[in-house]
Amino acid sequence: MRTLLRFIQKYSSLFLFLLLEIIAISFMIRGSHYQHSKLVGLNRQVTGYIYSRVDGAREYFSLREENLRLAEENADLRNKLDRIVQKTDSALVFSELHDSIRYFFVPARIVHNSVYKQYNYITLDKGKKQGVFRDMGVISDRGLVGIVLESSASFSTVIPVINRDFRLSAKIQTNDYAGILHWDGSSPRYAMLAEIPFHVELSKGDTIMTSGFSSIFPEGIRIGRIESFSLEKGNFYDIRVELFTDFQHLFHVNVIRNYRQEEQRNLENRTR
Amino acid sequence: MYLILRNIIRFLVVLLFQVLVMDNVMINGYLIPYIYLLFILLMPFETPVWAQLLSGFLLGMSMDLFTGTAGLHTAATVLAAFVRAHLLKLLAPRDGYEPETFPRIHYYGLLWFLKYTFIIVLIHHLALFYLEVFQLKEFLSTLVRVVASSILSTVTIVLSQYFVFRK
Repeated sequence: MRTLLRFIQKYSSLFLFLLLEIIAISFMIRGSHYQHSKLVGLNRQVTGYIYSRVDGAREYFSLREENLRLAEENADLRNKLDRIVQKTDSALVFSELHDSIRYFFVPARIVHNSVYKQYNYITLDKGKKQGVFRDMGVISDRGLVGIVLESSASFSTVIPVINRDFRLSAKIQTNDYAGILHWDGSSPRYAMLAEIPFHVELSKGDTIMTSGFSSIFPEGIRIGRIESFSLEKGNFYDIRVELFTDFQHLFHVNVIRNYRQEEQRNLENRTR
Repeated sequence: MYLILRNIIRFLVVLLFQVLVMDNVMINGYLIPYIYLLFILLMPFETPVWAQLLSGFLLGMSMDLFTGTAGLHTAATVLAAFVRAHLLKLLAPRDGYEPETFPRIHYYGLLWFLKYTFIIVLIHHLALFYLEVFQLKEFLSTLVRVVASSILSTVTIVLSQYFVFRK
């Protein structure tokens, strides 16, 4: 008994070390649930607040660039509006239009953004109070950004394209073939498109966009263009996609609320 | 008492500096200098091992909370703290560390500090990067990132000794 006690005493620091490592590794193993836990929810409010305070400075330095981009987007939207007004000169069309409105955009500011990790996350300054909930799509003026993972009262975290857990159905604009968009962790400028069969004709520069198969994104949100492709592993292409969204300079995004997401989900669940 | 207070303040300063400034400094698309290890490195020689391990645990946990990773920094930082406790014995001068001195360039010279820092940083980064990838598939590219990041972190930490945490 005494020898045992002496043994424990002698190696007490080793035991403490092992204990702490086991705790840490058990956190990692439960990792996927961790993002949804209560502790992290509370922490999201606290860190979100700290980040949003500091972010003011960062934003200030890129005002000029940001202004330019907003002006461009403004002009683009004005052109589109013009076209619609030309097409529609009767009130009838507006009632039709109303029926077809499925998506509503909530503008949000990025308060924290990681780019160079394997599992990157973005924090937004909008949460449940502003109608941002889990599984909503997030886009920038250039294209796809990611999907809302979880939201607290006034902040939310987004899993961007550049996270190894990200998966989304995406298609090639020219021929409508759909594959799975994912990220290999190498560079924040590129993502991968998998499961495009070998007989599809591809060319460099083809645009990749959302397929609209999920209720998260409408069809046709731009994602990127094909940078290179190869046919190494059997029947499917390895396609490298250059992303339109520049995650290194991202400040403002829009969260997409799909008014019929609930309806579509319920129907799909019932059929399954 | 004064020493403990000083270390608590250093803990907070290093942590906030890491998450608010350093995490936004990225060089060449891959590298983030992890300066928060400075807290582990600068703890007094007399700190009991259990206190070093627990501080490492707390520091790693706080990093994890800020970066939204689960246990990643905790595991790596506890390991760094454990290694430090034993490395200090290995690197000790012949007649031991003098009382009233700290593990800093000021007392033990640049070469000693460089050795001490680089070994701990390298072990920490090895754990951090491989646990993050969680597979050995990209063994080489991860190794390149580990070594490059370790050099960057070490340089940053050593430089900070000349500017901020001088004494």
